[in-house]
Amino acid sequence: MTELSLILRLARNDFSYFFRTKWLMAILISLHLSDMLVVALVYKNLMSINYFQFFVPAVIVMGLFVAALDTGRRIWLAIREGVIQYYLSLPITLRGIVVAYLLAGGLAAVVYSSSLLLIALVVLPAQAVWNTFILLPFLFILAMGLAGIAATLAALASTHGEYFFACQQVVQTVLLTLSTVFYPIEVVKTYFPAILVNIVSANPLSLAAEAMRQYTFSGYPVQPLLLISILLTSLPFTIVGAIAYLAVLRTFRVKGKL
Amino acid sequence: MLDVLRLVWFDLRHEIYPPVWITLQWFSFAIQIFLYGALISQLVPSTTQMPSYQQFYAVGFIVMMTFDVGSHAGREFVEAAHEGRLPYLLCLPISRSKLFLSIALKGGLELALMLMIPFAITLTLIGNLTVVSVVAAAATLFCLGFGVAGLMLGLSFIAFKSSDLYSAITTGLSAIIVRFSTVLYPLAVMARTSPGYASAAMFSPLTYGADLVRLFLGFNPGILLDPTTAVAVLTALAVSTLGLGTFLLGRLVEGVRSG
Repeated sequence: MTELSLILRLARNDFSYFFRTKWLMAILISLHLSDMLVVALVYKNLMSINYFQFFVPAVIVMGLFVAALDTGRRIWLAIREGVIQYYLSLPITLRGIVVAYLLAGGLAAVVYSSSLLLIALVVLPAQAVWNTFILLPFLFILAMGLAGIAATLAALASTHGEYFFACQQVVQTVLLTLSTVFYPIEVVKTYFPAILVNIVSANPLSLAAEAMRQYTFSGYPVQPLLLISILLTSLPFTIVGAIAYLAVLRTFRVKGKL
Repeated sequence: MLDVLRLVWFDLRHEIYPPVWITLQWFSFAIQIFLYGALISQLVPSTTQMPSYQQFYAVGFIVMMTFDVGSHAGREFVEAAHEGRLPYLLCLPISRSKLFLSIALKGGLELALMLMIPFAITLTLIGNLTVVSVVAAAATLFCLGFGVAGLMLGLSFIAFKSSDLYSAITTGLSAIIVRFSTVLYPLAVMARTSPGYASAAMFSPLTYGADLVRLFLGFNPGILLDPTTAVAVLTALAVSTLGLGTFLLGRLVEGVRSG
C-alpha cells in the first residue's frame, strides 16, 4: 500500500470520527442553526443595519472555524488515550500522520460548513452561488490553517485536558472577537486603535467572512487579491501546526511519552 | 456539618488548584463585555427604553455564566457516575441528605467564585445601585443557578442509559435555551421578529432570570417581564428541580452506572 493511500485511509478514519461524535454534532448544529435562524433574525429587528444579511454568511465561516478546531480535540484525545501509539505502529511516516490529520480537519470543516451554506442559501438569497466553488479551495486551506492552530494547542497541552480546552477557548474567543464576523469593519474602526484595526482586517476569519458576503451572497466579481490574502494568512498556521504535531510524534516515538 | 464541608472542599479544590476554569470565565467575560459587547452596541441605536445595549448584554452574559455553572454542576454529577466517583461517595458514612447538601453547597460556592468579579464589573458598569437591588439580583442569580443545576441533575437519568446521549441532549438544549430567551435581546424585539420566538422564550428559565436581574439593577420595566411571574417561575424551578435531584440521589442512583 502506498504512503498516499495510507494517508487517505487515516484521514478518512479521522474525518468519519468527527461526524460520528453525536454530542459534538448536537452542539455544532444547535449553535449554528440557532445563530442563523434566531440570533441573526432577532438582531435584525434591533439593529441599525440588516444584520441577518450581514451575519448569516459569517455563521458559515464560524462553522468552518469551530469544526476545524475540533481537530485539536481529536489529536489531544489520541495523545491522552494512547491511540497515538497505535498510529506510530502503522507503516506510515510521521509526516504522513500529520498530513492525514490536517487533511481530515480541513475536509471535515469544509463539509460541515457546506451544509450550513446550503441552509443559508434557503434563508438568504445568494446572487452568485457559483462563486462559492471558487472560494471552496481557499476555505479548505483556511480550515487546514485553523486545524494547524488546534494541532499546535493539542501538542502544547499534551495530556493536560484543562489547559488544552482553556487555550482552545481563549484562541476561539480572541480570533472571533478580533474579526469582522460579528460587526462591520467601519464599527471596528470607530472603536479600536489603528493597530487592532489592522489585526482585525488581516484576520483570516474576517477575510473569509468578507469573501462569503461579497462574492457568494452579494454577487460581486471575485477579487484574486482577497483570495491570495486568505491563502497567505492561513498557510503560516498550517505550517506551525504541522511542525508542532510532528515534534510531538517524534518525541513519542523516541521517549514513548511526552 | 464538618463532613459536608470536607466533601465540598474535596470537589471544589479541583476547580481552584489550578484555577483554570475560573480564570477562563473571567477572561471570557472581559472580552465579551469590553470588546464584543462594546462593538455590537454601536449597532444598536440607543432608545429611552434601552439607553445602552452593552449594559443589557453584560447582565445577559452574567445570566449565561450562571447557566453554564449550573449545568456544569449537573454534568459533573453524571461524570461522577461515569468515572466511579459516585459509588465511592455513596458508600461513605454520610446520609444522602448531607451528600445532596454538599453537592448544592459546592455548586453555590462555585457560582459565587465564578461570578464575583464579573458581577462586580457589571455593577460598576451600570452604576447608581442600592444594597437591596444588588442583594436581590445576586439572590436571583443563585436561585437560577440552583434551578439549572437541578434541571441538569433531573436529566441525568438519561445518562444512566447513555452518557453520549445525555451530553448531546444537554449541550444541544443549552444552546436553544440561551438563544430562545431574553438574555441577548428584549422580549418585545423577539415578538416583533416572530410571535413563535417570544412564545418559546416564555418556556426558557433564563428569560425570567435575566429580566428579574435587570429589573433589580434598574432597567426600564417597560421592556421586561412581570416580576411577580418571574419570581414565581424561578422559585418553582429551583424548588421542583432540586426536589427531583434529592429524590434521584435518595432513591435512584444506588447501583447505577453511566454507560
